[in-house]
Amino acid sequence: MAHFVLPNSGHNYDPESSKLGMWLFLFTEILLFGGLFIVYFVYRTINSDAFLRASYELNITMGTINTIILITSSMTVAMAITALQKGKEKFAINLLWITLLFAIAFLINKYFEWSIKIEHGIFPGMEHYNGLETGQKLYFFLYYFMTGLHALHIIVGAIFIGFVIKGIQEGNVTADRISLLENSGLYWHLVDLIWIYLFPLFYLIN
Amino acid sequence: MEDHSKEKQHIVSYKENFGTWLGLMLLTALTVAVSVANASLITLTVVTALVIATTKAILVAYYFMHLKFDHKLYRIMLLIITLLFSSFMLLTIVDYLSR
Repeated sequence: MAHFVLPNSGHNYDPESSKLGMWLFLFTEILLFGGLFIVYFVYRTINSDAFLRASYELNITMGTINTIILITSSMTVAMAITALQKGKEKFAINLLWITLLFAIAFLINKYFEWSIKIEHGIFPGMEHYNGLETGQKLYFFLYYFMTGLHALHIIVGAIFIGFVIKGIQEGNVTADRISLLENSGLYWHLVDLIWIYLFPLFYLIN
Repeated sequence: MEDHSKEKQHIVSYKENFGTWLGLMLLTALTVAVSVANASLITLTVVTALVIATTKAILVAYYFMHLKFDHKLYRIMLLIITLLFSSFMLLTIVDYLSR
C-alpha cells in the first residue's frame, strides 16, 4: 500500500455536514418519541375517562415549573451560541453552566414528582397500581416510560453540554469552530421540544 | 471558501432569543389557563393544547434551532419528517375510528 498524506489531514472541519448529520439523528429521535405518542393517542382514545381520572394524580404546578425551567434553559443555550459567535467565551461558558444547573433542577423536580407517586404505590408492580383499572394502568405506564426516556435525554444532553464547556475552555470550540456547541444546542432544543408535547398531553388533560 | 461560510453565518441577537423565550412563556401560560379554566370543553382543550404546543414547537425550531436562518434544505427535511409522522398518525387514527 502506498503511503500518502491527505493535504488537510487532522484539520477536517465541515460545519454543514456535521449539522446535517445532527439533524438526521434528531429525526430518528422524533420518530422514536413519535411512535410513543401514537401509542398514547390510541390508548387515550380507547380509555379517555380513565386517562382523565389518572391525570388528576399529576401535579400541574410541578409540570409548569419544569416547563419554565426547560424553556429558559433552551434560551441560555441559544444565547451561549450568540455569545461565542461574538467571541465572548467567558459569557458563553457561564450561560452553559446555567443551562446545566437548570438541567439538574429539572431532574430534582422530576425525582420528587416520581417519589411522591411511588410512595402512594403508583408504579407498575406496586399494590395500589395493580388495583387500578386498565386505562389508568396504561396511563401511568406511558407516563413513567415517556417522562423517563425524556429524563434520560436530559442527562445525555447535560453530559454533551459538559463536553462543550470543556471544549471551549481548551480552545477546541471557538467562534470559528462552533459546530459542537451548535449541535449540543440542537439536541437540547429537541429535548425541550419533546417536553412541549409531553406537558399538555400528560398534565393538562381536562 | 472560508470567507464565504463566515458570510452565511447569521448571529441571532440576545434580544431575539429573549423575545422567543417571552413568546414561549406566554403560550405556556395560555395553555395552562385554557386547561384549568375550560374543564367542561373536553375536545376543544385537546385541540387547543396541541395547536399551542405546535406553535411553541415552531418557535423553538425557527429561532432557537436557527431554522429560519439556515439553508432551506433543513426546513424541507423537517417538513418531510413531519408529513411522514403525520401520515403514520392519521392512518392509525383512521384505523381505530373505523372499527
